[in-house]
Amino acid sequence: MKLLEYKAHEIFEKYDLPCRSGNVVGSMEELTKLRGKMKYPLVLKAQVQTGGRGKAGGIQFASGDSELLKKGKAMFEMKIKDLPVKYIFLPEMIELKKEMYLSFTLDRKHKKPVMIFSPEGGVEINEIAGKHPDKIAKVLLGPLEPLNDFVIQYAMDKTGLEQNYRSDFKDICRKLYNIFIDMDCMLAEINPLIVDDNNKLMALDGKIDIDDNSLFRHDDIREFRDDIEENKLIPEARKFNLLYIPINNEGNIAVISNGSGMIMSSIDLITKRGMTVTCALDLGGGATADRITESLRIAASNPLVDTIFMNIFGGITRCDEIARGVENGIGLFADTKLVIRLEGTNKEKGLEIIAGVRGSIKIAEGLKNGVEILAQELKV
Amino acid sequence: MSFFIDENTKLIVQGITGREGTFHTEQMLEYGTKVVAGVTPGKGGGEVLGVPVFNTVMEAMEETDANATLLFVPPKFMYKAAYEAIISGIPLVITIAEGVPVHEMLKLHHLAKEKGCRLIGPNSFGVISPGKAKAGFMAHRIFMPGNVGIMSRSATNCYETVFLLKQKGIGQSTVVGVGGDMVPGSTFADILPFFENDPDTKIIVLIGEIGGSEEELAAAYIKEHITKPVVALIAGKNVPNDTSMGHAGAIVSPDGEGSAEKKEAELRNSGVHIAEGTEDLVEILADLL
Repeated sequence: MKLLEYKAHEIFEKYDLPCRSGNVVGSMEELTKLRGKMKYPLVLKAQVQTGGRGKAGGIQFASGDSELLKKGKAMFEMKIKDLPVKYIFLPEMIELKKEMYLSFTLDRKHKKPVMIFSPEGGVEINEIAGKHPDKIAKVLLGPLEPLNDFVIQYAMDKTGLEQNYRSDFKDICRKLYNIFIDMDCMLAEINPLIVDDNNKLMALDGKIDIDDNSLFRHDDIREFRDDIEENKLIPEARKFNLLYIPINNEGNIAVISNGSGMIMSSIDLITKRGMTVTCALDLGGGATADRITESLRIAASNPLVDTIFMNIFGGITRCDEIARGVENGIGLFADTKLVIRLEGTNKEKGLEIIAGVRGSIKIAEGLKNGVEILAQELKV
Repeated sequence: MSFFIDENTKLIVQGITGREGTFHTEQMLEYGTKVVAGVTPGKGGGEVLGVPVFNTVMEAMEETDANATLLFVPPKFMYKAAYEAIISGIPLVITIAEGVPVHEMLKLHHLAKEKGCRLIGPNSFGVISPGKAKAGFMAHRIFMPGNVGIMSRSATNCYETVFLLKQKGIGQSTVVGVGGDMVPGSTFADILPFFENDPDTKIIVLIGEIGGSEEELAAAYIKEHITKPVVALIAGKNVPNDTSMGHAGAIVSPDGEGSAEKKEAELRNSGVHIAEGTEDLVEILADLL
């Protein structure tokens, strides 16, 4: 779960990590209330969960109230890579002398946290690595032990960080690492980490990505997730313990399956056959009739979907249970074509039930055959 | 000969008193697995399906000589239960739970290595040596004894493969669910040497998917150490980058790291046969046999 910038700043502030302060507004009403209360110049930063907002006009400057309101209005009406701007972050403008980079993230290969520091920042870390390979310190850390002083020392020495920044730097490292651990971060990044005109270090922009598996112990973040989720089908599916995955806005097929692997295999074969999947629903284990019905309803409620491919490999799951879910849901997806591949316990009984259901349902024998039937249905 | 588990394995089920734990214990007993003990803190002294229940793994080991444990424990309690098992000195820990916090898995991954414990999973269907024993929730009816060794990140892609193999009369030596989470207890490269040294395994199948670098690390290991033929399938090549799938581990970063193309190229470079899908995989296997 990638947090929006303002939320990352809230966490920085909570940990007393020096960062730029600023208001966040979620509507024109809120913005209007700030009239006469702001210190100018300030920055308007569109809060969207995507990169490249600067180029798309999502970062603006204002030198007075009227400019703030005018630019704020335009920003709320803007879409950045299809995402509406629900919040604008309004930090003060800062004079900066230097931009650096600092992050803690996960090294999947070594299965350890890694600290990455460069005194050259402000651009993506890959770009820094390309331009200044000698100015990057990457240190693998023991899994979840306290951050040792020698690690920070090594990073500073290796990159030749100026002496007068070192005391601030050590403090920021420790605080960012505490955030990384406490908040179950996949990534805790400050970029740029700046030196202001008083020679103090400060986080100008931050990225925090929190492990979805840990959200059960971060209530505030879980609430935030549903609040900013643009695709309403995701929280809707979550209510039934289903995972809704948007795939491609150009597609017209929804894949429903009982496992991530099978969904990927289905997408691979469907794409190879020249068709496009627009979304997928993962039932996970325990595909009960109720959840089958809900998954069909949710898939069909996506206006892009005209065909659903339900690929169930039961094993222990009972096919008659699945079939009953289809039977119960038939009224909810009447306009949508359905291709079902069913394998598992009580398969015959399941197929019998489906044969008795009205509507456009085709039965496939195996995944390959299922994709062929899809192609016939969609005349590809 | 099998590795990890066989008809002599004495298995503990942690979480045996839960609904899933009880259901699958019954399935395993029916298959012939020696489930010798259950562990549920606070339920010690009881019995489930004739299997004695203990409060701790340590006591269960002392009383029953158990040498493996299977965890039917919800993800938020998985760390505690697996930690207890590893520290108690049991040599094999198999974890089923999907969605274990990544930071906790980092700790467990290294702790298991340090203590010489073989940790399988999480987000795994378990391990099966067909005809001998199973420790997990896999639909055992589709498996049959034979000489293909399989390890898979995905349960469903593995079932699909095994199902198609059965139609061709091809069985398996040992099948291991590596699991779909971001940090597995044991990686493909960790498990490869067991297949290489297993006289029952003639061909090794690796069912991987996008995300991470386990397939690349396996490719490097295969090049140096594996003499048996290897066939691989990488699922998810047509999933857009930066899309989170149900498997937490299956994500290609925006810069393309973890892509199927890279994994396939490195595996090919190590002499591995690459399959386009499960049906293709089974045909390649049939030809090789």
